[in-house]
Amino acid sequence: MTIREFAKKIFLVEILKGMALTLKYMFTHPITRQYPEEKRDPFPGFRGRHAFVRNPETGKEKCVACLRCATVCPSQCIYIDYREQGDGSRVLEKYEIEALRCVYCGYCVEVCPVCALVLTEFYEYCDYSRSRIYFDRERLLKNWDEFTSKLETDTYFNKFWRPDGIDMKKMPVGKRFQSPVPINPKTS
Amino acid sequence: MKTTAKELQTKELTISMGPQHPATHGVLRLVLDLDGETVVKCTPYVGYLHRGVEKLSENRTYTSALPLMDRLDYISSMANDIGYCVALERLFGIEVPKRAKYIRTIMAEMTRISSHIIWLGTHALDIGAMTVFLYSFREREWLLDLFEMTCGARLTVSYPRIGGVRTDVNSEFLESLYKFTEEFPKRIEEYETLIDQNRIWLQRTKGIGVISVEDAINWGLTGPTLRGSGIDYDVRKHKPYDAYDEVEFEVPVGKNGDVYDRYRCRMEELRQSNHIIRQCIEGMPECTVLADNALELDMPAEGPKKLEADMSLEHAFILLSEDREMVLPEGEIYSAVEVPKGELGFYIISDGSGRPYRMRVRAPSFVHVSVLPKLCEGHLVADTIANIGTIDVVLGECDR
Repeated sequence: MTIREFAKKIFLVEILKGMALTLKYMFTHPITRQYPEEKRDPFPGFRGRHAFVRNPETGKEKCVACLRCATVCPSQCIYIDYREQGDGSRVLEKYEIEALRCVYCGYCVEVCPVCALVLTEFYEYCDYSRSRIYFDRERLLKNWDEFTSKLETDTYFNKFWRPDGIDMKKMPVGKRFQSPVPINPKTS
Repeated sequence: MKTTAKELQTKELTISMGPQHPATHGVLRLVLDLDGETVVKCTPYVGYLHRGVEKLSENRTYTSALPLMDRLDYISSMANDIGYCVALERLFGIEVPKRAKYIRTIMAEMTRISSHIIWLGTHALDIGAMTVFLYSFREREWLLDLFEMTCGARLTVSYPRIGGVRTDVNSEFLESLYKFTEEFPKRIEEYETLIDQNRIWLQRTKGIGVISVEDAINWGLTGPTLRGSGIDYDVRKHKPYDAYDEVEFEVPVGKNGDVYDRYRCRMEELRQSNHIIRQCIEGMPECTVLADNALELDMPAEGPKKLEADMSLEHAFILLSEDREMVLPEGEIYSAVEVPKGELGFYIISDGSGRPYRMRVRAPSFVHVSVLPKLCEGHLVADTIANIGTIDVVLGECDR
């Protein structure tokens, strides 16, 4: 053992170096966030609570009951009932999302041909009752109103309605020409 | 001396460590036979987190089964997804656009960094160095924010698609990530200042949990656990996928095969991953991110059935089996990728329908847990903790 190594050993050099580092961080700003008081804004496109987009023209949902979301859902938590009209168009009778079983993959948003469904950036919706996290049609529209009332912009566009970098020709027409949804708090 | 032992009535003690023990990184249960402080026998019990991912995916289409892969190794979900997608692309012959390959490589390496720093933090915490844990989570947060920016989720990302990725990355992401790669080497030095030469760390890690070269191969170890013993094997180098054949990197190997060498290996891998990310950002090509023949999200599960009501039941069965049109080509494949833990393999049999006929996941954590008795027996109880940490198990992947 050289004298240098010996000196290192008795003077606890490596421990002191570590201590100096931690001491340095005592004088910097903390990087932690005091969560319930200090809220964090999620990035656009965050997959949070489900909502039905309220059609600004009709005031109702845009769903055409094509069942694509229910088919693609990996946890199979979307239940849809519909009836067919004389001209072959479908009328939605029941639309329910069991959010407690949802895995928030966002596939339903991506396959929806008319951009009717959205996973909003709202994430604080835990509850004491299961029934309040079982979203039916009215509840999904209410979720949209709650979400848009807190938005500061005039329009809303979810990035998974039309993902970047994907050939537009692969998408249905409803998605290709989807413009940002105008938000008008008075109609809601 | 023997009479004293007899008078004191010493005997072996069997204790159950876990499944709720905080140092077992999840729900691993070890039954330890102890003679004083020495472990005589160690038996791992796994399966507390079994969800039947392999069976579940048989009832889902290939694309719908992808979110299940997020939940194998839940701290490096991006790498699992990529492994699954690479296997299916090889099976069905889907050529991924170059930009998607680069994005995937970036994502896989970000996952490797975030997985290795969570490993470093928890491993150091188990052994007794708490500060590293706090510092390493700071960098992890940065990476998780970047994941959230791109794909809307922090852990269960579901980002890759079979034939590309889900959405393109924006310039904000690339700039922030480039800044991260400039900062990160300094942060690695900080971790090393804290523990690399620390005498307590050295005493707890050097010469502990030694695996020889022969044993490491015979037990089927992969990843840094294997490379710590000095074997140069990395799927990224030896069977490249995505953009790994277009970037330069080294595979760090250890020498002694002890806990300290595996720690050194992972620290070097952090630097190499950082280097790979930089190269990918610099050479990022411009094109679409999803192949033309990529599997659609709402792909059919079965081909069109021809079934007529007035025919007999027997005839219907014949029609179903013979006239069923294939959705996808038939075949089987074993394909492996290098996830942070080791070699993650997917063995998939396709029978032509939209669902896998059989899927088997070769999970590195499962293999690594099986080597625990070898590492622990004959050593102190305290070293068991170091050994569990060093093989880097995630029980979600082990139990599947």
